[in-house]
Amino acid sequence: MTAIPDTATLPRDRLSRARSLHWVLAGGLALACIASLQIGATDVTLFAMLAKLAQGEPLSHMERVVLFDIRLPRLAMGVLVGAALAVSGAAMQGLFRNPLADPGIVGVGAGAGLGAILAIVLGTLLPVWMIDRIGNQMVPVAAFLGGWGSTILLYRVSTRQGQTSVATMLLAGIALGALAGALSGILVYIADDQQLRDLTFWGLGSLAGASWAKVLSAGPLILLSIGGALMLGRGLNGLALGEATAAHIGIHVQRLKSVAILAVAGATGAAVAVSGGIGFIGIVVPHLLRLASGPDHRTLLLNSALLGATLLILADVIARVVIAPAELPIGIVTAVLGAPVFLWILLRRRGLVEP
Amino acid sequence: MSLFAQDIRVSYGTRKALRGVSLSALPGEVTAIVGPNGSGKSTLLGAITATLPYQGRVLLNGRDIRDLPPWELAAQRAVLPQASRLAFPFTVLEVVRLGLQSGTAGNRPDVPMQALARVGLAQYADRTFQDLSGGEAQRVMLARVLAQVWAPVEGGQPRWLLLDEPVSSLDIAHQLQVMEIARQFARAGGGVIAVMHDLNLTALYADRVAVLAEGARLAFGAPGAVLTDDILSRAYRCALRVSAPPPSGIPYILPHAASA
Repeated sequence: MTAIPDTATLPRDRLSRARSLHWVLAGGLALACIASLQIGATDVTLFAMLAKLAQGEPLSHMERVVLFDIRLPRLAMGVLVGAALAVSGAAMQGLFRNPLADPGIVGVGAGAGLGAILAIVLGTLLPVWMIDRIGNQMVPVAAFLGGWGSTILLYRVSTRQGQTSVATMLLAGIALGALAGALSGILVYIADDQQLRDLTFWGLGSLAGASWAKVLSAGPLILLSIGGALMLGRGLNGLALGEATAAHIGIHVQRLKSVAILAVAGATGAAVAVSGGIGFIGIVVPHLLRLASGPDHRTLLLNSALLGATLLILADVIARVVIAPAELPIGIVTAVLGAPVFLWILLRRRGLVEP
Repeated sequence: MSLFAQDIRVSYGTRKALRGVSLSALPGEVTAIVGPNGSGKSTLLGAITATLPYQGRVLLNGRDIRDLPPWELAAQRAVLPQASRLAFPFTVLEVVRLGLQSGTAGNRPDVPMQALARVGLAQYADRTFQDLSGGEAQRVMLARVLAQVWAPVEGGQPRWLLLDEPVSSLDIAHQLQVMEIARQFARAGGGVIAVMHDLNLTALYADRVAVLAEGARLAFGAPGAVLTDDILSRAYRCALRVSAPPPSGIPYILPHAASA
C-alpha cells in the first residue's frame, strides 16, 4: 500500500477558498451598491446626502425622489436580476452538465420572453376581476411558465439515457429561440401603441424602467427560485457523474431535476419579465467562479448570486454614465463585455465540456 | 442477508434483453456474470442496480429495492459503471468525495484518501479528473465506489459492490489489483457482483459464476463446475477448451486451444 500524502494542503483548499470567497464577494457587492447609489445622471450623490443628514439638514425633494424613487428601486432590481441570471446560469449548467448551458443562449430566455409578451399583449383581454387580482404578477408568472416549458422541452430533446448532448442542446436552443422569437414577433404586430412602447423598452434589456412595483412583482419569485437553487449544491455535484451514477450515490435524480428546472425557469422568467433580455451574466459569472475556486456547486451557486448581482450593478453604472445624460440599454453593456468571454470559453473548452 | 434477483425480464423496445433470469449472491463471495456480447450481462446488472426498468424482483439484504429510497440504497450498495464521464473539472479527490454523499462513511473525512491509496492513486489526489487516462479514471471511480461502502459490513448487514466490467480498460497488473480489492471486500464480509469479460480472471477470482447467453441463464455455480468446454462452447457459440491443471484445479482458457 502506498503512503498517504498529507491531505491538509490538497484540494480541500479549493473548498475553503470558495467559502472565503463568499465574504469577499459580499463585500464587493456592498461596494458596488454604494457606487450605484452614488453615481448617476444628476449630480445628486449618496455621500453629499449622507453629509447633509449628518449635519441634521433635511434632504431636498429632488434628492429624496432621486434616492428613494429612482436609484434605490433600480439598485434593488439590479441585485435581484443579476443574482437571478447568474444563479439560473449556474443551476442550468449543473443540470445540463456543461458550462455552455445558459438560459439566454439556449432559448429559455426567449421562451420566458414569449410568455411575458403574451401577458403584456393578451393580458388586457382577461376579465377585469382577474386583472385586479393578479395584474401585478401576471407578466413574471407568464414569463416563468414560458421559461419552464422551454427548459423541459430542451431537456427532453437533448438528453438520452441520462446523458446530455451539448451539440443537440445548443441546436435545440437555436430552434427554440427562433420559434419563440417568431411568435413574439407576431404578437408585436397585433399589439396596440401603448403595449408596443412597453415591449420596446422591455426588449432592449434594461433596468431603466425600475420601480418598486416591479421589484415587488419579480422579487418573491426570484428569491424563491434562488433559495431553491441554493439547496441543489450536493445534488448537482453528483449529477456531474451522469444521471445513473447520481442515483447510485443516493440522489433523488427526478426530484433534483424538477427543482432545478423550476428554479431556472422561475429566476429566468422573473428576471426577463422585469428587465428584458440581459445576456451573458449567466454564463460568464459561473465560469469565472469555477476558474477561481472550482466547480463545487455547494459554493458555486451562492457565489454566483453575489458576483452576478455585483457585475450587473456595475454594468448598470457603466450604462448610465458612458453616454450621460442618455443611457445605454444594459443588455448592450453585458453583451460587449460578455460575448468575448464566451468566445474565450469556447477556445479553451478542452476538459470543460462533455463530448 | 444476500442479494436475490428473481425472474428478471427486461425489454428494449420489442427486443427481449433478459427473459427471466434469476441470480442469488451471498456476502463473503465474489459472484461473476459472464457471457458473450449482447447476452444481457450489463442489462442484468442494470436491473440489480435499479438503473433500468425491469420486471421481476430484486431483494437487497431482504428488502425489495423498489421500496428503498435512493439514499438507503446508496448506503447499502455502490455501483461502478462501465465508463464514466465527468461534466466539470473536479479534482480526483473531489470525485472520490462524491461517493460520500450518502454513504454512512460520510462522517469519516479520511476515507477518500484511503480509498485512493487502495487503488494506488493517492498521489493523484489534486489532479483534474478529466486529464487522467482511461485506466486511471476507471481506478478513481473504483476508489469513489469503495469510499461509498468503505466498511464491508455495517450495522450487522453486508454491503455490496456492483461492478460493471471493472477491469475492462486496465493493464494486467491493475486487473489483478482490482480483482484483489474485490476479493478482499468479499472476504471481509461484503458482497461483490461483477460483470466480467475475462474468463481467466473470472476463474481465478470468482466464487460463483453465472453464464448468460441470449438473455437467459445457461449455468450458475462454482467456477470449476460452470466453466466447462460444453457450457462455454454453447454460450459463446465457438468450440472452447478449458484446462484445469492440478494441484489448484483453477480452470483456464487459452484462445490457442479453441478450434472452430
